[in-house]
Amino acid sequence: MSDPAINAITCPACGGTVEMRAAGYSVTIVCQYCSSVLDVANPDVRIIERYQEAARALAIPLGTRGTLRDVEWEAIGYLGRSEGGYYPWEEYLLFNPYHGYRWLTTDGRGWSFGTMLTATPDYVSHGVLSVNGETYDAFFRGDAQVDYVLGEFYWRVAAGEQVQTADYVRPGTMLSFEGNESERNWTLNELLSPKEIRAFGVDPPRPWPGSGRPPLPHQPSPYGANLKSFLKLGLITFAALIFIIILFGRKGEPQAFTMALTPGREAISQSFGPIMLPRPRQAVTISAEAPGIDNLWVDIDYALVDRKTQASYEAYGLVEHYSGRDSDGAWSEGSRDKTTKLAVVPAGTYDLVVDASASRWSGSGSSSSYATDGWSGSEPSVSLDIRIAPGGFFLSNFWLALIVVIVPIGFLLWRHASFETARRNESDFAASDSDDDEDDE
Amino acid sequence: MSKGSFLYGLWCCGVVALFLMSAFSGYSPFADGGRATRAGFYAGGPNHK
Repeated sequence: MSDPAINAITCPACGGTVEMRAAGYSVTIVCQYCSSVLDVANPDVRIIERYQEAARALAIPLGTRGTLRDVEWEAIGYLGRSEGGYYPWEEYLLFNPYHGYRWLTTDGRGWSFGTMLTATPDYVSHGVLSVNGETYDAFFRGDAQVDYVLGEFYWRVAAGEQVQTADYVRPGTMLSFEGNESERNWTLNELLSPKEIRAFGVDPPRPWPGSGRPPLPHQPSPYGANLKSFLKLGLITFAALIFIIILFGRKGEPQAFTMALTPGREAISQSFGPIMLPRPRQAVTISAEAPGIDNLWVDIDYALVDRKTQASYEAYGLVEHYSGRDSDGAWSEGSRDKTTKLAVVPAGTYDLVVDASASRWSGSGSSSSYATDGWSGSEPSVSLDIRIAPGGFFLSNFWLALIVVIVPIGFLLWRHASFETARRNESDFAASDSDDDEDDE
Repeated sequence: MSKGSFLYGLWCCGVVALFLMSAFSGYSPFADGGRATRAGFYAGGPNHK
């Protein structure tokens, strides 16, 4: 930035030499030694308001230059403001002779770069305004006062000056209204990154939640961007899991065997084979079905025995089906088929050894009614159909993988919701905005 | 891509790799095989009421 005209004037109140950084533009200047407000619009500097107050130490000393958004700015004025003495914040007036004035504002939670608008925002709906096609939601409404002034300004500023304010927000930007009977101003405040504000030699404040204070009204959720990419990655992973299921979840050609069981008799043992398992390792799916059984259960012990090594892979299956009638009407439970899966069975030639027994439930409910320890005489035999096939897919693996993928997304979603709740809780419109009118548009 | 997204991407790759390995070798921690045969007397019957 080429140096603007820097003039020096003598404070009529204390005699101190006061530098004017925007000579020709500034209307008032506050003496940095005695804080008296001086009128510099006319060649004869006069005191507007006299103070005897030591200048406040500022986070950005007036005269500091920094580059924001590719333009070098100089801090020339400072306002300490609050809402009736509460919720204080600070505003620095920035100046560049070619780009005019901007604002740098902070309430200790972050810094924003403010540009005054030359047009009034468009009304969209109740509590919603629009600037350049982007909508802003109502957040604050109140009165602001000037508590402390230092430096030079393009209007006649004085401590105690009061205006009505309203803030509308969208992630990263705040639309601020200030007005009184004679003037209405709109400013667009863009949230600055920690790197950007360091241009003025300021250490950025700690972000939420480490700050112990609520997020800024226009602070974007630090989890929002991650959440989108997490969801994308989660969907890609889901598609990959489905693809793997389609690719590897198919079963081989099944082999079928049948056994005849008589309820109440001793367990029958039968061996079926050979069963060829071609892949180095695979799941084996065995399904048993006892069609037409009722009030019966069938215990089945499987042993898949490698003919070469005699290694045995064992599992248990139970087929049971019951029905009856009570005061509520007919009922039934159980299933006439059962699928059992063996995991990681090596390649080889196997025999399937099946030990099965059928037992009848008499329906009385007492233990003596179970015909498990003797032949009941006229019981018809039960057919047990067994099908065995290499391969198969474990649905439980899929659910487990899905849970493992979803848990981080759920955690991030919870963090995002916590942030948004903390942010929105600060709003005047958080609970209900039905009693507010729209007199600021 | 942020560091968090990169780490989550790695996490997802790990899940897919493990799922692929388990599908290829037919492994599941929930498989029926290897469980003990039901021991003792099973008093079958409905749980109805």
